[in-house]
Amino acid sequence: MFKFPQGLYVDVRIEETFDTKISFKKLELEAQKVRTNKGAFIRIFDGNRWYYSSTTDVEGIQEHIDALAKMAAPNPDILQHPLVQAFEVHQDTLLRHDQDSVTAIPVQKKQQLMESYLALITDPAVVHHTSYYVDNKTIKSFYSSKGSAITFDKQTCGIRLTLEIACGENKDQVTVSKAAENFAGMQGLEAFITEEVNKSVAFTRDAQPVVPGEYTVLLSPEATGVFTHESFGHKSESDFMVGDETMKAEWALGKAIGQELLTIIDDGGESGGGYTPYDDEGTKAAKTEIISRGILTGRLHSAATSAALEEPLTGNARAMNFEFEPIVRMTTTYIAQGNRPLADIIAEIDDGIYVDTVKHGSGMSTFTLAPARSYKIEKGRITTPLKISVITGSVFETLAEVDAVSSEFKLVTFVGGGCGKMEQWPLPVGFGGPYTRVKKLKVQ
Amino acid sequence: MKQEFIVIREKETAARVQNTRINAVRRKDIVKKGVRVYENGKIGISGAIGDISDDVLVQGAVENLAAGIDYPYPLTENTKDHRNYNAKPMTSEELVDLAESILSTLRRDYPDFSFSETIAAYEIDMEMRNTAGLDLKYSDAICYLGLILKEKKTANLFDGFISCDGRQFDLDKFWDITHQVLEAYRTPVALPPGDTLPIISFDTSGTLDFLRKSLNGERYATGSSLFSGKMEQQLFNEKITVEINRNPLSWPKPFFDMEGVVLKDDRYPLIAAGKLVGVFTDKKIAAQYNLPHTGAAGGEYDDMPGIDASRSTPLPLRFKSDSTDLKSALKGQPAILVIASSGGDFTPDGSFAAPVQVSLLFDGEKVVGKLPEFTMRSHLYKMMGEDYIGTFDNDILYLGDLPTQLQCCCMTIVR
Repeated sequence: MFKFPQGLYVDVRIEETFDTKISFKKLELEAQKVRTNKGAFIRIFDGNRWYYSSTTDVEGIQEHIDALAKMAAPNPDILQHPLVQAFEVHQDTLLRHDQDSVTAIPVQKKQQLMESYLALITDPAVVHHTSYYVDNKTIKSFYSSKGSAITFDKQTCGIRLTLEIACGENKDQVTVSKAAENFAGMQGLEAFITEEVNKSVAFTRDAQPVVPGEYTVLLSPEATGVFTHESFGHKSESDFMVGDETMKAEWALGKAIGQELLTIIDDGGESGGGYTPYDDEGTKAAKTEIISRGILTGRLHSAATSAALEEPLTGNARAMNFEFEPIVRMTTTYIAQGNRPLADIIAEIDDGIYVDTVKHGSGMSTFTLAPARSYKIEKGRITTPLKISVITGSVFETLAEVDAVSSEFKLVTFVGGGCGKMEQWPLPVGFGGPYTRVKKLKVQ
Repeated sequence: MKQEFIVIREKETAARVQNTRINAVRRKDIVKKGVRVYENGKIGISGAIGDISDDVLVQGAVENLAAGIDYPYPLTENTKDHRNYNAKPMTSEELVDLAESILSTLRRDYPDFSFSETIAAYEIDMEMRNTAGLDLKYSDAICYLGLILKEKKTANLFDGFISCDGRQFDLDKFWDITHQVLEAYRTPVALPPGDTLPIISFDTSGTLDFLRKSLNGERYATGSSLFSGKMEQQLFNEKITVEINRNPLSWPKPFFDMEGVVLKDDRYPLIAAGKLVGVFTDKKIAAQYNLPHTGAAGGEYDDMPGIDASRSTPLPLRFKSDSTDLKSALKGQPAILVIASSGGDFTPDGSFAAPVQVSLLFDGEKVVGKLPEFTMRSHLYKMMGEDYIGTFDNDILYLGDLPTQLQCCCMTIVR
């Protein structure tokens, strides 16, 4: 298919995307967009430096390979380079969405579904709303000079509602989102939407300012997902560790960093936003236990970090799209299911905070959660809605503060957001988990 | 049938940096095209990445008319404005040479740090034209350096940033401030005493994001903005002016909005002398709610233009510099220069809190040391009201030749 130059490692990733976006302002159709696009990312490695090219000229990929090859210095021993040796070789075709492809659903049907949901928003406190239905099907093809030839697909459908709520002087902008892997998964959301609108209006009407301080915090599965992603997920991305002896010592495998009830997993094979059956270097998805029963047992790797740290590949080299090179990213990352009923965990909290939904989070040395809806917990009961700017904790200490995880468990996927890492934002990821109790976090 | 064409061509050469060495060179060459057709008060849109022919795209846009989307607004007509803000872009070779030179100095002089991320040269040409005589073209080229730094002795993901963006790269000025900042990183100092301290930010995006929500004409008109019903009222300190600023000399983005509107002097004030004087609108919102039209339509090349369109093209709001002498304004009090504050937010009613992961102590003239982490807390009306000190042209911390600002206000410190 391609003529790969001698003495160089080469791989080519071609992405063919189908996208629909149907936007509304209240009940009025605002835009209806259906697109098919194609782009490619080419990488060449000479043993010393990488050379990348991103192009929309898919017919001209060979010319891009040849141009990059001229910049590189051919290396007769390239196949013996530890990084090149680390690359897996697969020939596989994995098309899961031939039978339920969003490309086969008429756009009018997608529009009608959205209109039926928007008709449910009748509360006068919702003074305005904008919304969209979106779907994407991406077919990725990957070819390497080591012999890989992989084609797989990935599909997401979703809705996102932005509600403008005004209850007298109390105002808020609230986002409601839901996603699934196919159009059938977007049916029957009436109860979900009605409940979310009702909860959001009540929250806007009744929320009180929080008294800043340290609290025991109970996290919903959604908030647990953001917490896991920000408090520890980014720390497990091993590109931060390559060449850094202090980091390697601090995060040495085998170190105890949480209680025995805590297990954290990253799994590219899990369906949803983080589904990555092969990563963007052609590595097959793995289920990686980053933390097993409180002990640090794994890290997330690209081929480069795997070779540098001499640890197994995990299939976490991901690019946001064809414009970027793969870097180490999470896929679907979650705290494993616990064995205690939620009711028992809440009952033990005398004075705490329950975080239901989250606007965003971040994960440097101090990680943050900015709650959308949160509530006071008093004597074992969830009570008053609270306005909170931000919840923070130290990534070095907080996992040890997790003292309960529930038997109730849920993974979640949204549309209209994702994970950011420097220039590559937003990358779809999956997250979630059980209800999680953290003994002590700072709340502002 | 009127037709409108948008073409964006982007080229980039980026040196990708890991552990203070270039580990990859990336080239991008991307074309994006959008076409709109207008007929009987309706709009049809199509678009593609790649150099697809106009005929194919027009055909797609005509088919999209069947969706029946209303657009009964006059097109921007008979306006020709071609602007090139950098006729001599940096070449790929120059960029790689520059990156090698900077990294070599960093390796030699700062072996206790490692630096990673990107040094890049970026070119953009954007055209918007229609069959009613609109003919706009924006060409520009910038180079940018954005390196995260990591102290080798810490176990943090990263410990700070150095950055520099501009049409030219003044190495002398860059090294002058970079040496000063990196020396300060090597010098830990304690937070000054006091519960309330002056905070200096060169990144005002958090506050502007919140204002962008509240100054949205549609939110204002429907009653969901924090500022609804407050037109002409004094909201903030009387020094404060916030305007739409599309001057590419301030922000290297197109000087026109996605409906082809060019503002007089590329600006439109929304808050003047602390008073609310306007909210931003596109053609539809202005007509629907009888508000002044402010040329604020955003969106991607193939989107329906609108003020709530795409987060990838946020409306360019900017504070106007209102003060000149930061040292005098601080009245001898030490201040905190925030380098990295990630994850904070406002509540809907304006309460604000944010952790500060990286900050430097500033004595009124120079940075003198690195401060421990803390949290800052305030409220929009306090930060922009009684606790506001001023917005200054940044002549202290060189961040490139694009004009940057330092904003200073007092906030509560949570240690």
